[in-house]
Amino acid sequence: MKGSIDTYIKKDKRTIYLIVIALVVIVFGTLPFYMDVDSFFAYYLFICFVYITLAQAWNLVGGYAGQISLGSHAFFGLGAYTTAIIWHNDITKTWYYFDPLLMVLSGIVPAIFAIIIGLPLLSRLRGDYFAFGTLAAAEVLRVLILRGGEFTRGAGGIRLPGSFFESMEPYYWISLLLALLATAVVYFITRSRIGLALRALNEDETSAASHGIHILQYKILAFAIGSFLMGVCGSLYAYYLFMVQPGGVMNLNWLFIPILICILGGNGTILGPIIGSFIVAGIFTYADIYVGQVHPMVSGGLIVLVMKFMPTGIMGLKEKISPRR
Amino acid sequence: MAEWKLLAQVFVNGVLFGSMYGIAAIGLSLIFGTMRIVFIAQGSVIVLFAYFCFWLFHLLGIDPYLSLIPIIIVALMFGLGFYYGLFKEAAALQDRIGSLLIAVGLMFFLENFMTVVWTPNPRAVVTSYGFYKLSLFGINFTLVRVIGLVMAVLATTAVATFLKKTLIGIAVRATSEDVEASTMMGINPNRVNSVTFAIGIGLAAIAGTTMATTYSFDPVYGFDFAIKALVALTLGGLGRVGGALLGGIILGLIESLGAYYVGTDWAQGIVFAIFLLALTFRPYGLFGGGGQKT
Repeated sequence: MKGSIDTYIKKDKRTIYLIVIALVVIVFGTLPFYMDVDSFFAYYLFICFVYITLAQAWNLVGGYAGQISLGSHAFFGLGAYTTAIIWHNDITKTWYYFDPLLMVLSGIVPAIFAIIIGLPLLSRLRGDYFAFGTLAAAEVLRVLILRGGEFTRGAGGIRLPGSFFESMEPYYWISLLLALLATAVVYFITRSRIGLALRALNEDETSAASHGIHILQYKILAFAIGSFLMGVCGSLYAYYLFMVQPGGVMNLNWLFIPILICILGGNGTILGPIIGSFIVAGIFTYADIYVGQVHPMVSGGLIVLVMKFMPTGIMGLKEKISPRR
Repeated sequence: MAEWKLLAQVFVNGVLFGSMYGIAAIGLSLIFGTMRIVFIAQGSVIVLFAYFCFWLFHLLGIDPYLSLIPIIIVALMFGLGFYYGLFKEAAALQDRIGSLLIAVGLMFFLENFMTVVWTPNPRAVVTSYGFYKLSLFGINFTLVRVIGLVMAVLATTAVATFLKKTLIGIAVRATSEDVEASTMMGINPNRVNSVTFAIGIGLAAIAGTTMATTYSFDPVYGFDFAIKALVALTLGGLGRVGGALLGGIILGLIESLGAYYVGTDWAQGIVFAIFLLALTFRPYGLFGGGGQKT
């Protein structure tokens, strides 16, 4: 009898969740119809969605699979550069501005890069060494882009035709779509066999391998999917900036902000990065206006405080408060 | 002949420069060894001490090498403060992402703090003897750089002796071998960790003073420096004091030879490419294997 009640409650909960998700999607999806899209709040939401995409991508690799990657900014930058180089050199002969083909390509290139550096790094290195390795690979890529000559145009970067810009509307839609896509991808992966394998190798690699899980294959899969999402996000940001340069898109902020979001929200949970993004984006965008020059100092201090007093994140707090999981 | 001399000069400069990476790497190595903390703020702390040295020199007119004494005392206190104030919980949990992020936050904070206080313009401590050169076989050795190398070697020896001979040094080594076992042997992890942190930051003070007298520095130089110290540390093998210094010197050599043969623009890329190769083929340091604790 108890079992059937439990399953009933479970089913009920699931319907509630589905309704909540549908409501949230509808509210955010229809927001541009009754709100000014060029307002600051819309910009804030755009940044939120970008952060959600990046954080979910990092969450998949760092949270679920437990491989701490310090190369996010390289994948983000590579995505932005792929878009910029193809557009600037007129390679694919399509319409370029928000071209789906271009955005997918901007995801595939970082994914290939991830596989190339992932094969030697993930097969041989564990833990901290993997983190250093990804950081070094990102630095090598940055130097290559800086010294790329005519192809990447060095430190000055590539300027895209800004006359295409009409309003924030497409940016809002696409970023929302990306955030939903990233969340859905991570959700369905973690609920599948792949997710089970990733969790197993996060817990104990040796044991997972002895149970017949092909560790390297799953690690690389997660790494490549994460890089794909970051690359697409970089492409969107290139459309937003119309100016792709190493100092902008390969900035270390693109590495640390997703990590901060994941930890603040709750690493290895699906909801954590979303909550974290809204908070962190709020602090970063609004502090930029009100505090101004000192704001990186504020954000630095904030990272320290969060980690010191809330190392398990907001989702962890919830678990502490409620006795039942 | 001239070609040979130039090459020797490049070589010597590489060694002298690399010794500074070496000191920073030893500090990182100690902190990583006992607490599993990747203290990426080390570079920014070094730059901070370079600014202290700069202030003492410019405002009070104290010779940089004399100012080393107060700076090291301040540094030891900073180290204790960092440990008890920031890293104690993370170290107890061996929580690497947590401690890494605290270090990153500290780095952001220090960088911007220094930018506000000292402006982003590069600074340098220029002493009357700063340009004095020694000549040996036609190769120039700048005095301040030689002093830097000597200080690096002295500091390394001091730390190595401390770890070998004193009781607390032995406790530090035991903790870096196996935390749980050492706790069971009655070693207080807090005490060991705080001492280690103090020594690590003290080494940063030495590196900072050396940097202040030798090069110009600016607030954001720290991150670059920390990454290179990490590279030096990995080249030398984690947890080895002598290895870290040697790794730093090798890194300095790679950098200066790379700058000479390929160009300064590419030196950075070459350093990281070699680092990647070393990680792939000799993951646990260039000097021998040894078990790696994961």
